[in-house]
Amino acid sequence: MTLTAWGVCSLHIVRGPRASAKGCDLASFELLEPRSLGEAFALLDSDDPAVRPFGGGTALMLMMKAQIFKPVRLVSLRLLGGPLHGIELAADKSAFRIGAMTTFAELEHSPDIRAHLPVVTQTMLTLANVRVRNVATIGGNLAHGDPHLDLPPVWTALDAKVRIASKAGERTIPVQELFAGYYETTLKHGEIITGIDVPVRPKWTSHYAKVTTRAQHDWPALGLAVSAQFDGKRINDIRVVLSAAVDRPSRMKGAEAVLRGAEIDDAVLSRAADAALGEVHIESDLRGSADYKQHLLRVHLGRAVKALSPRGDQATIQRA
Amino acid sequence: MAAAIGSSIGKSFARLESRDKVTGRADYTHHLRLPGMLYGKIFRSTLPHARIKRVDTSAASALEGVYQVVTIDDIRKVIPNPYYGPAFHDQPILADGKVRFAGEPVAVVLAFDKRIAEEALGLIEVEYEELPGVFDEVEAMTSTTLVHDELKPAATFPDLAHLKGRKATNVALDYKLRRGDTERAFAEADHVFEHTFRAQQVMHTPMEPFVSIADFKDGQLTLHTASQGPSFVRIEIARLLGLPENRVRVKVPFLGGGFGGKLYIKLEALVTALSVIVRRPVKIALTMEEQFFMVTRHPCTFTIKSGVTKDGKITARHCEVVWNGGAYADIGPRVTQKGGFTSAGPYDIENVTINSYAVYTNRPPCGALRGFGAPQTAWAYECHTDLIAQALGIDKIEFRRKNMLREGRPQASGTPLRDAEVERAMDQVLDRLQWNKPLDRGTGRIRRGRGIAIGFKGITAPTTSVAIVNMYGDGSCGLYIGTVDMGQGSDTVMAQIAGEVLNIDPTTIRVIHPDTDVTPYDMGTLGSRSTFHMGNAVRAAADDAKSKIAALARELGLPEGSNVPLSELLRRRYGMQAGNIIGTGSFIPDYEKPDTETGQTTKGTPFWGVGAAGAEVEIDTETGQLTILKLINVADVGTALNPMAVRQQLSGSGIMQLGHTITENMVFRDGQLTNGSLADYKIPSLLDMPVEYINEHVPNAYDKAGPFGAKGTGESTSIALSPAIGNAVADAIGVQIMDLPITAESIYRALQKANGTPLAED
Repeated sequence: MTLTAWGVCSLHIVRGPRASAKGCDLASFELLEPRSLGEAFALLDSDDPAVRPFGGGTALMLMMKAQIFKPVRLVSLRLLGGPLHGIELAADKSAFRIGAMTTFAELEHSPDIRAHLPVVTQTMLTLANVRVRNVATIGGNLAHGDPHLDLPPVWTALDAKVRIASKAGERTIPVQELFAGYYETTLKHGEIITGIDVPVRPKWTSHYAKVTTRAQHDWPALGLAVSAQFDGKRINDIRVVLSAAVDRPSRMKGAEAVLRGAEIDDAVLSRAADAALGEVHIESDLRGSADYKQHLLRVHLGRAVKALSPRGDQATIQRA
Repeated sequence: MAAAIGSSIGKSFARLESRDKVTGRADYTHHLRLPGMLYGKIFRSTLPHARIKRVDTSAASALEGVYQVVTIDDIRKVIPNPYYGPAFHDQPILADGKVRFAGEPVAVVLAFDKRIAEEALGLIEVEYEELPGVFDEVEAMTSTTLVHDELKPAATFPDLAHLKGRKATNVALDYKLRRGDTERAFAEADHVFEHTFRAQQVMHTPMEPFVSIADFKDGQLTLHTASQGPSFVRIEIARLLGLPENRVRVKVPFLGGGFGGKLYIKLEALVTALSVIVRRPVKIALTMEEQFFMVTRHPCTFTIKSGVTKDGKITARHCEVVWNGGAYADIGPRVTQKGGFTSAGPYDIENVTINSYAVYTNRPPCGALRGFGAPQTAWAYECHTDLIAQALGIDKIEFRRKNMLREGRPQASGTPLRDAEVERAMDQVLDRLQWNKPLDRGTGRIRRGRGIAIGFKGITAPTTSVAIVNMYGDGSCGLYIGTVDMGQGSDTVMAQIAGEVLNIDPTTIRVIHPDTDVTPYDMGTLGSRSTFHMGNAVRAAADDAKSKIAALARELGLPEGSNVPLSELLRRRYGMQAGNIIGTGSFIPDYEKPDTETGQTTKGTPFWGVGAAGAEVEIDTETGQLTILKLINVADVGTALNPMAVRQQLSGSGIMQLGHTITENMVFRDGQLTNGSLADYKIPSLLDMPVEYINEHVPNAYDKAGPFGAKGTGESTSIALSPAIGNAVADAIGVQIMDLPITAESIYRALQKANGTPLAED
């Protein structure tokens, strides 16, 4: 098999395995760039947790600089090509097939995404910054398992499915089933996320509210993604997903049940909020006390659902 | 921009260094590597208060590539009394038998490869005996848990010479001011109001973290360091090493921000000790995260009580101010003194009592941060002002006018107000806020309000600046000063002052950066003092050079007022392009030491820093979300020597204070910092800027003692900003927030409490 082997440190690349790079803040490690999934699986076939796949690296590099993660080997998925890249809209425009190595910037600037999944385009403007969006990938974003990330709840609300490959083959699961807890996923040893499938659902409209409580540009205190299909004023079907305030992106099925089939008014929204508060466990953190965040959930669930029908897709930073 | 002769003052020259900075060519200590240099990485304590029973460095020392692991035992061999500090010699170079805050340096690993040094940190083991900690400043006042068993005053600075500390307490300094008979005035007052305000612990957050390199050889030390006070570094390091000052050289290039953090001694003592031990250059560069354990701003609890007549005249004020100094005093006693000095506000009050206490706690040390305590005290006295006016049903502006301290009237210390445009600054804020027009107060869940505040500060005294102007053989000019350009534009402004006197285009003057072998003494780039003190020294040095040039012309037999250029004069004098004209100047302001018991002095400050602020805010009462629609800062800077640089200073200081008002807060749990990174400690970004943000100086102000009428600018907008926003919030929702920072949650909590449906305490 053909491999390129590099000793890498920050932006400073030195040829040769385990090369030392003086003056850089990271210990040396090897960065391998396989050209096929088969090669990637072979290189990742190790029990050592310091052997990891590497997408855009925006999260991993921070963990490495903070010495939380000290890699021995990083297997970059950059050159895998084919199924891991690209944004494909099915000929019948019923679904997107998006490669795991697609960058946020590619999503942000895709005319097809803008036309059919505008909430994704809009969410991009609420998260990170141009430099990160140019590099971060949707696969890495999912695999990171950080409950504060903005895209996972949006994918969940959009009823997206994640494609996962291993030597044994490929499996597909709903996005919410990927998350097992705080920074924990259900990915098994030897598995790589290869992409996601997102249905284009006619007559559905979506909204993502990133609620920040301190500086405006902050990790959200809560992320709220809502997606609904209307029949006139009546909600025919709805998905409500909470993130950031909980340990993983979580559908609030109790709230969905209250809203499904209802026409929106303050009484219905109040009952939906009651249901939501009854089904999630919110803990205090630096972004707000549990009581305050519960209150924010009540307020912003109502606002998000109200924002849905007349205005089409939206994603906004909602301060507090 | 080319300057017309004699027209340097009052012009917006671009920074001399701006091209070098934007093209990445400006010098910073971070860039410097010396041959044979070792990197040090710091092992820090995990407990806030504990005795060290054992430090095991054997595994770390054994790691391949580790040069040496150093503890206080190694340092003591080269520096027998390894304690330093500007006010107390209370801080050990590395923990000495005890740790006093979580994050305190305990050991250092040295290696040629900093990654190996970092890796070895994980191999150090320390066994502690945990001690009870004290974290809150009010508790620390009476706590039997003592952070220091012994208090060790330093007696370095004249304004702190009386420091003794209170034996067997955590009180490092109590500043007292007594004027009139406060108790009697309270008894006779129609109304008495008392409120307690708190300010939180925040950090300087310079974008360039602390960095120092020491190079000790042949009995001489050279320090390359990101310091705001190279002269003090030299004095204190020479003291530690028992060397004369001429054996210690301190060089400072540009700084990427300082804000008071990089003052006095920070990493310099540590890198010096390490270099003396290993006889090699040693560099320590902190990470952004480590900065939280170096120096921070004092949390403060301020109880303010006022006696007022029924027609709104304040007759008595009692200020009880407690400053949380953290584990080591640093310059906290001066913060306590300076903050205490003006804590009764810019008001004319006959009877004033001030008690201001610096107390030790088991938190990271606190020191100077942009305002020397004035922002924390103004938060209290200006919110208090609005609360009194509100309670008495008096217009808030008229209440201020009625009690305002005016030109020539004695401030609480007895020092008269002089060249201080308090009222004009306030009026300019009112004008920009369109105070006379009614405000749209919002409907439904949206509520709008507006507020103003005024504030002032005294300037550290007495302090000295010395400058040298060196005119070379071709008539070009070098300016040798110890003022550190840390982004404030001092190089440019000092060149303007010299250029004005010498009739030279200031952009052609070379400003020589601090190098204690070359540049003369300066007390430090701190407390808004450089423009005033160094500016006066530079002016005197330029005047001196000018008179020497005139003397040379006379000596050469030229008629008075002849226009022969200096290069030609020197050529005639020396027969070739040779020689120098060296002008020197020094400045120390008039000062009278305050009485230790009463704080009374007729000359307590070289000038008055004056700032006024106004804010218009919008609040979503359903969530507490705060939007600042308008923020106005107006400062009295005397003559604006460089109006653009002044505006940038006012704006930058305002943004920093905005962070300290609404987003920034070091959060501790059991003495452990829980948000020590920029992901979790939020400084404001562009998105947090007020919708409309105006920064101005008072036109045609003039300080008679300043160079060309100028005074300092760096802190003026840090003073009144927090209470202006606090008062605007109160105006919008009818509830005064008492504790900083003002967050969406704190506003929502205040609203719910006022509604009788309080949220559970977290």
